[in-house]
Amino acid sequence: MFSEFFYTLRDRGIPVGPTGFLRLQEALDKGLILSLDDLYCISRAVMIKSERYFDMYDRVFAHHFKGADLPEDLADEIEKAIAAMLEEWLKDPVKMAEFLGMSVEDVKKLTPQELEEYFRKRLEDQKERHDGGNRWIGTGGTSPVGHSGFHPGGMRVGGASRNHSAVKVALERRYRDYTQDQRLGPAQISDALKRLRYMVPAGPKDSLNVEKTIKETMKNAGEIEIVFDRRLKDKLKVILMIDNGGYSMDPYVNVVQVLFNHAKSQFKDVKFYFFHNTVYSRVWADPQRMSKAFAIEDFARMDPETRLIMVGDASMAPYELYSRYGSIYYGSQMQRPSIDSLVFLAKTFRHSVWLNPKHEYTWPGTETIMAISEIFPMYELTLDGLDDAVGHLMKK
Amino acid sequence: MGKDSFTGTKSYVLDPELARIVNASIRLEMPLLLKGEPGTGKTLLAYAIAENLGMPLIILNVKSSMKAVEALYQYDTLTRLNDSRFGDSSRDVSSIEDYIKMGKIGQAFTADSRVVLLIDEIDKADTDFQDDLLDVLDQMSFDIIEIDRTIKAKNRPIIIITSNAKKDLSDPFLGRCIFHHIAFPDADMMRKIVLAHFPSIEKKISEACIEAFYRLREVKGIEKKPATRELINWIRILLMDKEFDTQYLAKRDVPYLGVLFKKSEDLKLAQRYTGGY
Repeated sequence: MFSEFFYTLRDRGIPVGPTGFLRLQEALDKGLILSLDDLYCISRAVMIKSERYFDMYDRVFAHHFKGADLPEDLADEIEKAIAAMLEEWLKDPVKMAEFLGMSVEDVKKLTPQELEEYFRKRLEDQKERHDGGNRWIGTGGTSPVGHSGFHPGGMRVGGASRNHSAVKVALERRYRDYTQDQRLGPAQISDALKRLRYMVPAGPKDSLNVEKTIKETMKNAGEIEIVFDRRLKDKLKVILMIDNGGYSMDPYVNVVQVLFNHAKSQFKDVKFYFFHNTVYSRVWADPQRMSKAFAIEDFARMDPETRLIMVGDASMAPYELYSRYGSIYYGSQMQRPSIDSLVFLAKTFRHSVWLNPKHEYTWPGTETIMAISEIFPMYELTLDGLDDAVGHLMKK
Repeated sequence: MGKDSFTGTKSYVLDPELARIVNASIRLEMPLLLKGEPGTGKTLLAYAIAENLGMPLIILNVKSSMKAVEALYQYDTLTRLNDSRFGDSSRDVSSIEDYIKMGKIGQAFTADSRVVLLIDEIDKADTDFQDDLLDVLDQMSFDIIEIDRTIKAKNRPIIIITSNAKKDLSDPFLGRCIFHHIAFPDADMMRKIVLAHFPSIEKKISEACIEAFYRLREVKGIEKKPATRELINWIRILLMDKEFDTQYLAKRDVPYLGVLFKKSEDLKLAQRYTGGY
């Protein structure tokens, strides 16, 4: 029974195995499942072993037992929605500005990229919160996106629902926050970062080496010879460089802040620097990028074992990266293009990664992302991405 | 008591979803693995099941350095050595059996009646710990090597395992458990929980507190959001404060924020948000 349901779960990438499926049959045999509600709870409990998959389970369940849409991918939907919104915007700027709660003039000032980012941010907000409100696109049933295939309301985030039937519950998508590719939360970041460790012997020789002791004792014809070692200490140094400027990074400020806080509490030796878009002759130790400038050349004097983590969307005009005088700041014109500075950093610290908060599938669309990913191994700023990045940083 | 289905207790408000899962775990005789934010009542659930079904509760608090065998039994060599030297105990030095002490799992297996066994925060220990427990929980038996004896569970205990997700649990381990993630309770559920703890609380006060609580959970940048436990403690303190008036909460002038926010960074953010204390 329910084998089709089982295979849909598998198709959607949930690691459900035959054992779990057999358990479900056992539960059916024992008469534990008498209603759809029972089925919803119990089949999830016996088959799904991580809350990461709860959201997908909910969606498959709602699809299977209620015929709800099973969209390919939420990120995909968002891209579609943004495209639709841009199109709508071109058709009727006045109405669109009204929906966005901005004046037509203000919206017109935005470049297409900025407008896109703005839409994205709004949509992400909408995804995260679902308690109503008029600042969001798509409320009131007159949404310009409503008829384009993206239904933020249609996914039924039914906040006020009191009826906890299984399908309703499934449609509420309560577990959306737990999905693996979601933007990171503090606990997850902490988890991922915990694996960054660099153990080296340090301090006084006060740790007994049993093996060597036995060996030496044998050599000594049984006369006990105790051997001590220095104990292992975590000597990891981390440099975190964060793109904290510009419109395009705005939507990610929150998650970067969390990363920031966690890195601070996680490591003894962590230094923060800030840049905007890309790195020219210097980075800044103050978030305002005003007073504490730090010359790139000086990094050469630092411990080459330091792990360098760059965080940024790597999106900018190509000339910022390639041109000798590409800096967008007045008065900070440099003799070399910023791409050279990036190469210099990557060479100085052989353990380095670039974390990009943008979805990976959007990368090939941006020239500068592709160029930078050639210099630094680039990972998505998600739990999976952070995992991989940490793995890369700890490679010998 | 002849009960075999869990229905919650006076102080533990059970949501129907969790009730189904607990009962499935009991009937399928599989351990129930609970995950969820700290303070969502994972540990309390074990207490509630024991109370509701009238069974003794045995708690194994997992520690980071713990080996699985410690949870099963311990061979107390030191006492045996002492006994052999001083010879003034009632134990028989020549019998190893006299020096075998049951660990928490051993106690649960040898108990005369069915018990609830809580394995609390299993993710604290190494993955070896879980792996070593796999067969034990599967077969409901383990061997005492020193005396070459197999201990088989007299009554299959009801097993609740909690994890704070510090480490990922291994797939084979997960495969043997029923899994549930306790989501953070919504406001409706929270009302019931508050009422269970403070049966005579004025509606005006509980509503104001719950409302403020959810509002504070949403303060941007908070790392450790206050959980049910913090809310209950907070209300307890507010109720003791004779000066307290729900108007404070409405005015965003929230007292005793330190009870809700345990991290100083979070507290600062919350203070800035409420503009008080």
